[in-house]
Amino acid sequence: MSMSVVTETSQKDLPVQVWAIAGAVGIGKTGWILQQIEQISAPVVYFCPSAGNVPIDLTCLTAEFPHVQIFCDGQELELIEKVEQGAIAFIELGFHLDLRSGDMLLDTLADRHACKRIALVPSELTSSEWHDWADEVIEVKYDIGFQDLQIWRSPFTGQVFDPSSLNVLWYEITQGAYGEVTRAKGIFDLFDGRAFYLDFVVGKEDSLYLPLDLPLWLDGRPDRFSGLEVVGRNLDGKAIAQCIIDCCLSEEILLHYQNQIKQSRQQSSQVAA
Amino acid sequence: MKIAVMSCIHGNYEALDTVLRDIDHQKAEKIFCLGDLVGYGPFPSSVVEMVRSLDIPTTQGCWDEDIVEGLNSCECSYPSMLAEKRGRLAHEWTNEHIYPETKEYLAALPKVIKEDNLAFVHGSPQSQHEYLLPELDGFIALERVLSTGADTLFCGHTHVPYVRTLDAGHLRLMVRTGAEVPEGEMREFNAPLKRIVNVGSVGEPRHGRPNATYVIYDTDRDRVTLREVEYDYQKTCAAIIERGLPAIFAWRLAKGLEFAERADDASHLCERGV
Amino acid sequence: MSHWAILSGIEANLTAYEAVLEDIKRQVPKVTELYILGDVINASPASEKIVQRIRNPRIGELVPQVCKGWWEEQVLMLHGFVPDIEPNPLAEKYGVAAAKSLWDNISKETVAWISNLHFAFMEFDCLLVHGSSLSVLEELTPESSPLLFLDRIARSNANRLFCGRSGQTFRYQIKDGSLSSNVLTLDGEEVSQTYNTSDRLAIGVGNVGSTPNMATYTIYSPNTDLVKFQTVRYGRSKGFGKT
Repeated sequence: MSMSVVTETSQKDLPVQVWAIAGAVGIGKTGWILQQIEQISAPVVYFCPSAGNVPIDLTCLTAEFPHVQIFCDGQELELIEKVEQGAIAFIELGFHLDLRSGDMLLDTLADRHACKRIALVPSELTSSEWHDWADEVIEVKYDIGFQDLQIWRSPFTGQVFDPSSLNVLWYEITQGAYGEVTRAKGIFDLFDGRAFYLDFVVGKEDSLYLPLDLPLWLDGRPDRFSGLEVVGRNLDGKAIAQCIIDCCLSEEILLHYQNQIKQSRQQSSQVAA
Repeated sequence: MKIAVMSCIHGNYEALDTVLRDIDHQKAEKIFCLGDLVGYGPFPSSVVEMVRSLDIPTTQGCWDEDIVEGLNSCECSYPSMLAEKRGRLAHEWTNEHIYPETKEYLAALPKVIKEDNLAFVHGSPQSQHEYLLPELDGFIALERVLSTGADTLFCGHTHVPYVRTLDAGHLRLMVRTGAEVPEGEMREFNAPLKRIVNVGSVGEPRHGRPNATYVIYDTDRDRVTLREVEYDYQKTCAAIIERGLPAIFAWRLAKGLEFAERADDASHLCERGV
Repeated sequence: MSHWAILSGIEANLTAYEAVLEDIKRQVPKVTELYILGDVINASPASEKIVQRIRNPRIGELVPQVCKGWWEEQVLMLHGFVPDIEPNPLAEKYGVAAAKSLWDNISKETVAWISNLHFAFMEFDCLLVHGSSLSVLEELTPESSPLLFLDRIARSNANRLFCGRSGQTFRYQIKDGSLSSNVLTLDGEEVSQTYNTSDRLAIGVGNVGSTPNMATYTIYSPNTDLVKFQTVRYGRSKGFGKT
């Protein structure tokens, strides 16, 4: 008869259950998280402290992975409970946050679960706050100057754009009409009912234009989140806000377009039938 | 003889001043202007005064017409909410700042000018609001020139200069009139060489550089030269901001972008007649 | 398979219209659509009757699809539905008194009906309009430039244009053609291109009411692209032995 020997395993050897991700602006933190989520079959929860009223990354994430549960500021206890139940947690610390701000939550979780702190850092950087904080450093080729950056953000849930106006707005923001912009990302609702995620990082020639996998919104003003976050220097927030207002469709025009679209969809489905 | 043809000054006095000096330097003996003297730019009345004082034959542009009659642009002009809003702001500002006699002058401008075998229009012979883009179907472009009876049609409105030659136009027709002539009659239509010359814009560039563009035409040699002229655009940018026009216009001018986007569809044909 | 009867220029001539309807009924294959390209009325008191006849087809008759014509446009100008043109076309052609006649003889109800008429019809690749795709008032004739026809046909992305303003029956076909274009731009680049065109058709559909005792109209089959011009003689001189 053989006896299996049970050895005590430390938390270090357990598979990681809580991931904390920090790093420079626009370096790809959210992208890295999305890549990990794709490979996980267990329940996943996501928490982005201080996303506040402009939860752009949260919204994109839910659109692509509807099964991921999102937690916001003030829901830390619920997050802890989910992890207790076996969920894998991703906690993303925005570039503008103090790295230590996540400590209280992470320490609590680390008591009972395997946690790992990942920092995505520019490859030329050999030492930094991130190096001190992280368990593992991932080096990324990175050309952005990240000192003294301001952040401007605003939700505009319910506002709808026509594509030409959005193109001009985006071009002006990313090409420096409203200040030196390092990073910009936003979610915009278009008059055809689709929602788009736009992403710009200085140094990359083309912005990302991604239609979100959300149902078409053709009944008046949408009540799903849309908004914009701009990071840079000497930002003219007032002018950006005014430009956004100038872009957006009035209720009357919006309803007119929505009716046209609904009618033509009806006609094509009748023909098909 | 050399003639100079310019268009779309849009209240940009500094650009106009520099272009006039360049025209002088090129030894052009006559100048024609294809309208849009006002709109968007900071010195509408000064531009009109300068053109008027030099007795430059001028056609009425779409902006000139809109200022005279109240805002009434057709769909050709604004493809977006933002462009419409900016256009409206510019219109209101211009309306508030131009002198009554400037309006009177603009109201009296002709839509088409003909001289010898040349015709001058702002947009097209059909309408001040119609764009004659270089990609416009060749037969339609030919129709526009032929309708003036001229060999060369000068136009503006698009703010991007080009020279277009239409040649070897040939059509075969079969025309049957009434039930009494069952076969019909074969006809041939041949068009002689015709040309459309778009003279660009002095004051509101759209070709990616802030410089002014206009055209010199040598009537003896039948030769067209597209001219691009650098001027102190920063002066105009400063004036835009100082005089209370939207600051974004200054940024766009410096980049050689139009102040408010225009429709780009070469197949869109204007329903507004002259 | 559809077959269209296309009329224009009834000009309040009820007898002519009835004669054409009879002729349409006799057609084989059967006519399936009836289009009336404007000029249903004129300034005479007979206009009300023709409008009632058209708006109330009898059982078994096709329901006419009507778009506005020159006369209808004069009514709209008179009543302020569309802007005036200088010089006023009605006064120019028929004298100043014509406006009073038009005002007196067209009822408010008919004015309302006219104000709701379409400018044109677009079926398959066919545009059916009184004047042209540019304007109700424009007259296209067999002497018009082929380039003009190409422009008017292209405006609505059509290949076939049916019109009635000239009152003539004609079949104007642009069989084929070509054109070279060369564009030189500011950066010194030159782009050459050849444009080709083929098989565009403009059809003058005739006139029902203005010539006494003779009406012309058109039958068109979209499937075969066949155009037939019909002449209908009516009234006392109809029949053998008399001209």
